[in-house]
Amino acid sequence: MQVIDKNKIVPLLDRLSKQSEVFVPTVKGSESGFYSWNSLNGAKEIALEALNVYHSPKNVLFPQTERMYSIEQGKQVFSIPDTFQDEKSRIIFGIRACDAKAITCFDDVFLTHGYEDSFYATRRKNTIIIGNACYQPGANCFCSSMGINPVQPDADVVIHDAGTVYAWEAITVTGQQFTEQVQDLLEEKDLGLPQLKPFSTEFDYDGVVEKLQGMFDHEIWHELAEPCMNCGTCTYMCPSCHCFDIQVKIWGDKGYRFRCWDSCMYTEYTAEAGGGNPRPDSQDRFRNRFLHKLEFFTERYDYPLCTGCGRCISVCPNGINIIDIIKRIKEVDKIV
Amino acid sequence: MCSCNCEQPLVPSIVEVIDIVDETPDVRSFYVKCSEGGVPYSVQPGQCSMLSLPAGEGMFSCTWQEGNEYQHYAIKKVGLLTEELHSIEIGQKLGIRGPYGNGFPVEACKGKDMLFIAGGIGLAPLRSFIKYCFKHRDDYGKIDILYGSRSYADLCFKDELFNLWPQEKNTQVYVTIDNAEPEWDGHVGFVPSYLEELNPNPNGKIAVTCGPPIMIKFVLQSLEKMGYIDDQVITTLEMRMKCGIGKCGRCNVGSQYICVDGPVFTRTQLRQLPQEW
Amino acid sequence: MTDITLKIREIATRLLQSDQVDVFVGWEKGPQEYQTRPFFVRRVEDVEKLVFNEYSIHNLTNYLLKYRDSTDRVGLVVKGCDSRGIVRLLQDNQFKRNRLYIVGVCCPGIKDPLKIAKNQSGLACPPNNEEIADKCTRCLVPNPIIYDELLGESQEPHNSGERFSEIKTIENMDPNQRYQFFEDTLTQCIRCYACRQVCVACNCRTCIFDEMKPQWVGRENSTTDNMMYHLVKAMHMAGRCIECGECERVCPVNIPLMLINSKLVKDMDHFFGSYEAGMEYVEGQKPPLSVYNPDDPDDFI
Ligand code: SF4
Ligand code: SF4
Ligand code: SF4
Ligand code: SF4
Ligand code: SF4
Ligand code: FES
Repeated sequence: MQVIDKNKIVPLLDRLSKQSEVFVPTVKGSESGFYSWNSLNGAKEIALEALNVYHSPKNVLFPQTERMYSIEQGKQVFSIPDTFQDEKSRIIFGIRACDAKAITCFDDVFLTHGYEDSFYATRRKNTIIIGNACYQPGANCFCSSMGINPVQPDADVVIHDAGTVYAWEAITVTGQQFTEQVQDLLEEKDLGLPQLKPFSTEFDYDGVVEKLQGMFDHEIWHELAEPCMNCGTCTYMCPSCHCFDIQVKIWGDKGYRFRCWDSCMYTEYTAEAGGGNPRPDSQDRFRNRFLHKLEFFTERYDYPLCTGCGRCISVCPNGINIIDIIKRIKEVDKIV
Repeated sequence: MCSCNCEQPLVPSIVEVIDIVDETPDVRSFYVKCSEGGVPYSVQPGQCSMLSLPAGEGMFSCTWQEGNEYQHYAIKKVGLLTEELHSIEIGQKLGIRGPYGNGFPVEACKGKDMLFIAGGIGLAPLRSFIKYCFKHRDDYGKIDILYGSRSYADLCFKDELFNLWPQEKNTQVYVTIDNAEPEWDGHVGFVPSYLEELNPNPNGKIAVTCGPPIMIKFVLQSLEKMGYIDDQVITTLEMRMKCGIGKCGRCNVGSQYICVDGPVFTRTQLRQLPQEW
Repeated sequence: MTDITLKIREIATRLLQSDQVDVFVGWEKGPQEYQTRPFFVRRVEDVEKLVFNEYSIHNLTNYLLKYRDSTDRVGLVVKGCDSRGIVRLLQDNQFKRNRLYIVGVCCPGIKDPLKIAKNQSGLACPPNNEEIADKCTRCLVPNPIIYDELLGESQEPHNSGERFSEIKTIENMDPNQRYQFFEDTLTQCIRCYACRQVCVACNCRTCIFDEMKPQWVGRENSTTDNMMYHLVKAMHMAGRCIECGECERVCPVNIPLMLINSKLVKDMDHFFGSYEAGMEYVEGQKPPLSVYNPDDPDDFI
C-alpha cells in the first residue's frame, strides 16, 4: 500500500501550492475552515486530524460572492464587456466524506438537469479533490445514516490516517495522474487501516421520503418550526445548501453582476415584485428547508441533500436538531 | 443562427427595443430584436425570457415571437425593474437570456377545442398560445376566449380582443370587467362567475387559464364543477426567479422548479404539488 | 435552579388551566443537557418538559414578534436582560402589555450552550469558554425589571472592573489603527443576518437590509458592503440595544458585536442621558431617539 509520512504533508502542500491554489483544513483565529495554503501566514495550524472544520469547503467551488460579468451602461446602452471565468487550478486537500458528498450534490445541481452552470463547471473542472477518511465520527455526525461511507469519500484520492503515516489511495484517473506527480513523496508499506468507531446516532433513513410525501400540511411543522427564528445560519454553514441570489453593483457607467449565497430561511428569498409571497410565515420557510433537504431533493436527484455533517446541529442558536426532526417524522402518525 | 449564450446560460445576450406600445395604464408592450437582426433564440408559446437592464433582471413570459423578426413582451408595472422598464425608450438595449420553461403543450392540444380563460396581465402568456392556434387554425377546433380585467382601461390587447380575434374562424371572444362603467355595455363580473354563466361544455375541450393566483384558484374550482377532468385543464404558475435554470433554488414548488419544469402545468400535475403557490 | 423549574411549571399549569394564556414560552432540555432550547407549551401535558437551567440563555422575548399579529395571549420567562427586551417591544408598540404574562427570574448568570456545542462537536476550533457566558460577566441587570411574578433570589450585578473598559481601549486607538481593527473584524462577517434575526430591538416589519427600493446596502460579501451593513445596523441599534448579547452569541463567525453595541450604549448615555434602553416602562414614554428635540446634541455627526 502507498503511504505518505505525516512529516511530508507540509512539504507536499508547499509543493502543490506552487502550481495550484491548495485549500487545507486549518484553524485561523477562532475559526476553522478550508483556507488557501498560500494565504496563511506564519505557523499554519493544519486540522487534518480534527474531526472536521467549522466552515465547509463549499466556498471553494461556490464562493459566497462571485462576480459573473461586467456591465457598461449609458444612454440606451447596455453591454457586457467581460465574463469572468475562474480557471485557476485548485486542490481541496483533506475533505471529509460528508463534505465531499456535498460536492457531489453540487455537481448534480449545477451540471445536470438541462443546464450546465458555466461558472461552477469551470471551477469544478480544474479542481482535484483529496478526501480524508473518517474513522472516529463526532458527536453530531450521522453521515452513515444518510447513505455515506465515512471512510470512502467521493474524491480523486483518499488518505487514511494510520498513525504516523497516511495511507494513500488513488480513486479516479485524475487521482492516479495526481499520484504520479507526487510519487517521490510516497512510499510502499504494509499496514492495516483503523477500525471505524461506532456512530453516536444511527437511524434508518429508508422510508422517510415516502413518509414525508403527503406530510406537507401536517401539524407537526408548527411544533418543529416554533423555536426557529429563520436566522439562516444553518443554511450558510451547511455544505450542501446551494441557493443563490443574483445582484448588481454599478458606479456611474460601469459595474458588474454577481451572485451571492442566499437562504430559503429569508423572507426576501421568495418575495415577489408585486408584493406577494408564497411563503409568508416563518414556519413555511422552515418547512421548505427541511423538505428540500429530506424529500424534494431526493425526488429530483435520487438521494437526500443532507449529508449528515452535523454542522447545523452545532450552530443553531435555538437548538434545532435535524436528527431529532428526522426521528420525529419517522414516529408521528402520517394522518393529521 | 443561434446568438444565444448556450455555453454560459447565466450571461445574457443583448437585444434592442424596436417598438414600445401602451396596452393599459400599467401594461406596456416591448418589441425586441438583435441589433444585427433576428431574434436571439427561438421561444415556444408559453416559454419565458430573463430580460434585464443594468439594474436588474426579471422573468417575463414571451407574448409572441414573430418568426425570426422580433419577440414581443407585454410587461406590467409591479416593482422596481418593471418601473424602470416602463421608463425606457425605443432604441434601448436590453439583456436577454432564455428560452426558459416548458411552454404550452401546443402539439398535444391539436384537434381539440380550446377554451382560454385569462385575467389581467394573464392574457400575455396565453396570447402566445392563442396566436399560435390562429396561425395553425386548422389544427384546432372551436376557440373560446374568456378574458376579464378590473376595468375597461385595464384590458390588454384591445384591438385583437374586439376587432381581430372575433373575426377568426369558429372563434368566440367573451370579455368582462369587474365593475360597471358608464361606457361599458359588455359583461360585468369576475371571470370565474362569467365562466360558470357561459358553462362551456367540456367535451373534447382543453381549458387553459392564467391570471392572478386567486382567480386561477376559483377558475380551477369552476372548471371542476362544470365537469372538466384534470387532464383537460392547463395553467401557469408564477414564482420569484433569479437563475431561470433550476440552480438558485428559489422558484420551487415541492420538488418542481417553476423555471425549468413549469411554468405550465396540467391540473393533474398541480394536484401532486404542495399548495404553496 | 430546580426550584425555579418547579415554580415555572406550576405557573404555566395555572395559566394554561385557567385559560389566562394561549401559549407559554420557556425552555426544554434537548438530547443533551447543554442543548437546552426554547419550548412552547400549549397543553398542560407538556408543562412537565419545561426547565430552567444554567443553559437557559435564549432571549425569549424575540418570539413575541411571532405572535404580534395574532391574538394569542403569551406567558413567558425572562431573565434580567431579557426583561428589558419586553420594555423595548412595549415602547415600540409591538405588543400590548395585557396580552403578556411575564415570569421574571433573578438570574445567577448562565452558560452559552452554543459554545459547549462547538466544543463537543469535534470541529477544529480553539476551545470555547464553558463557564458563565461573557455577557453575564458584564451584566448590570440580573433582576427582571418588568414582571407579573418574580422567581429566585435577588442578585447583585455580576460585572466587575470598570464598565466600558474595552470600549475605552478602542477609543484610545489612533484613527488608522481603529479603522484597521474594524476592517479586520468586519471582513469576517458572512452577512447571514443571524444577528438581526435574533435581536428583539430589530423589530421593523421591513428591515432596511431587505429593502430593495432602493437597496441601501449591497448584498456582496466585501469589506465595503460589510462595513456598511454594520454601520447602518449600529445606527439603528443606538438607544435600542438592551444588551442581551444574543447577536454576539449566534454569530457563526464570532464577530464581537457587543463591542459595537456597548459603544452605542455609552454614547447614548453620554449625549442623550442619562439613559439606558429598556430600563423602565412608563406607558407613553418614548426613548430619546424616538423623539426629536431642537436642542439635541449633534457634535458627533
Ligand atoms: S459526518 Fe461522517 S464524514 Fe463527516 S466528519 Fe462526521 S464521520 Fe466524518
Ligand atoms: S439556525 Fe436554527 S434558528 Fe436559525 S434558521 Fe436554522 S433552524 Fe432556524
Ligand atoms: S442539513 Fe445540517 S447535517 Fe445536513 S448537510 Fe446540512 S449542515 Fe450538515
Ligand atoms: S435548504 Fe433552503 S437554502 Fe438550502 S439548498 Fe434547500 S432551498 Fe436552498
Ligand atoms: S451574525 Fe455575524 S456573520 Fe452573520 S451578519 Fe451578523 S455579524 Fe455577520
Ligand atoms: S429561478 Fe433559480 S431555480 Fe428557478
